[in-house]
Amino acid sequence: MSANALLSLDRLEAGYGRSVVVSDVSFELTKGSFTGLLGSNGAGKSTLLKTLLGIIPSLGGKIIWGAEGGKAPVAGYVPQRDSLDPIYLFSGREVAEMGVCARVAAGSRVPQKEKERVNECLKEVDALGFCEQRFSHLSGGQKQRILIARALATNPDLLVLDEPTAGVDAAASRAIVELLRKLHQGGMTILMVNHDLPVVRELAQQVVWLANGKASFGPVNELLNAERMMGLLAGSH
Amino acid sequence: MESLREILDPDFLLRNSVYVSLIAGFACPLVGVFLVLRRMVFLGVALPQISSAGVALALSMHVWSGHFGNVHGDNERLAAVAGSVIFTLATIFGLAFLERRGRGFVEGRIGTLYVVSLAGSLLLLSQCPQAESGWMDLFKGQIIAVSNSDLQLTAVVMALVVGVLVFFRREFLLVSFDREMAVTLKKNVMLWDVGIYLLIGLTISIAVLTVGPLITFAFLLLPPLIVHPFARNMTQFAVASSVLGGVAAFAGFWIAYVKDYPVGPTDVVLLGALYLVAFVVKKVMGKG
Repeated sequence: MSANALLSLDRLEAGYGRSVVVSDVSFELTKGSFTGLLGSNGAGKSTLLKTLLGIIPSLGGKIIWGAEGGKAPVAGYVPQRDSLDPIYLFSGREVAEMGVCARVAAGSRVPQKEKERVNECLKEVDALGFCEQRFSHLSGGQKQRILIARALATNPDLLVLDEPTAGVDAAASRAIVELLRKLHQGGMTILMVNHDLPVVRELAQQVVWLANGKASFGPVNELLNAERMMGLLAGSH
Repeated sequence: MESLREILDPDFLLRNSVYVSLIAGFACPLVGVFLVLRRMVFLGVALPQISSAGVALALSMHVWSGHFGNVHGDNERLAAVAGSVIFTLATIFGLAFLERRGRGFVEGRIGTLYVVSLAGSLLLLSQCPQAESGWMDLFKGQIIAVSNSDLQLTAVVMALVVGVLVFFRREFLLVSFDREMAVTLKKNVMLWDVGIYLLIGLTISIAVLTVGPLITFAFLLLPPLIVHPFARNMTQFAVASSVLGGVAAFAGFWIAYVKDYPVGPTDVVLLGALYLVAFVVKKVMGKG
């Protein structure tokens, strides 16, 4: 693992139960990098993401996080917004406030300092105008901003996004792209699953490409050449 | 109004029944809110019946084991509490385990457990005439004889359940709403899940013993289902569900007392009527 690495995967195997979806995954995310995670439907992108976040256990290999000052790095996770049940009557602000839960003891009130931090995050993603509305009533793009604010409220070392522009209109998608660009320019390390190749080409410096249960890792210009893009497009239909 | 004055009189003969109805009415909907949010409504229907099967088994154990003397008084109560708690907790943890493994047909399991436990309760009690007479009343929703010790047990358990739910509401809601996020925040998701299942199990097993499965089911689910379309936030959802449950419990008892109806079916029909009114109102308001 290099000195500047935030996360290193060494021959990782990911899957569910005894079924391996992707194997032999090795790559390193350096601090401040922007990495796109690509692959056709069912290639194992979300499985890999959930494994490195500890949501599902790995089936083999190693996940090594680069500790800074003895402190374990924090990953801010932005899930696919459709995974959240609309039956919950949370406002956008309440959803964003969940991001500070790791720093607030169970059963105690959220301190004013943390509430201010949530406010900063909502402001950063330009969500102050609609954050008091019910989360389930917001548009796709607005929900995505709230979920990014929630991830930022964790004070993350790595921001992990699962399809942030899927199912949102062109204007909202452009706004999310600009937001992610701004966060990256501010020094945030980002790992993003995305089907939208132009978005990945525009934002990412490196790409992890999943195909046939294996992963390739390299710079965007090398991996996203015309031949591979045709293959990916063919695989997604 | 004379009947209302009678019910409110501290020396009213059935005062413990009123108190226990009110406690169940206020507390059960707060637990039911989590059953609704977690989309476990079927479990809310089945668990009180499964809890009753535990009570029936405990009370008829002496018949099945060949000891034909009956269990009486405190021993009977203790056996009933044990049967109710063990059956409820074993079922809720067993189903949660199977659901997490993602195998099988969840609704099928719950439906089967419901019908088998209902039939099993009736069969068990049919062989135990002395227990049958008292417990069949409870199973039908008759709250008549509530002892001081039953009232105290119900009050203590429900106060504990409500206290824990209110104190740790943020954690319970986070784990219920976005389990994956909770994992990334290093929350012990398993521990919080066990906590909520314990609270649900305890509430149901104690409520079934004091007010019966019919009222338990009605107070767990109907108030949250009535309130949800009109609530603006989670606090309002929980508080309004609890208040509606408490008010319906008192109103149901009053109507049952005046008309000489059984309390349980009166409460359920009253809540059912409110559900119908809420359904029409939300359609008219365009919230359906």
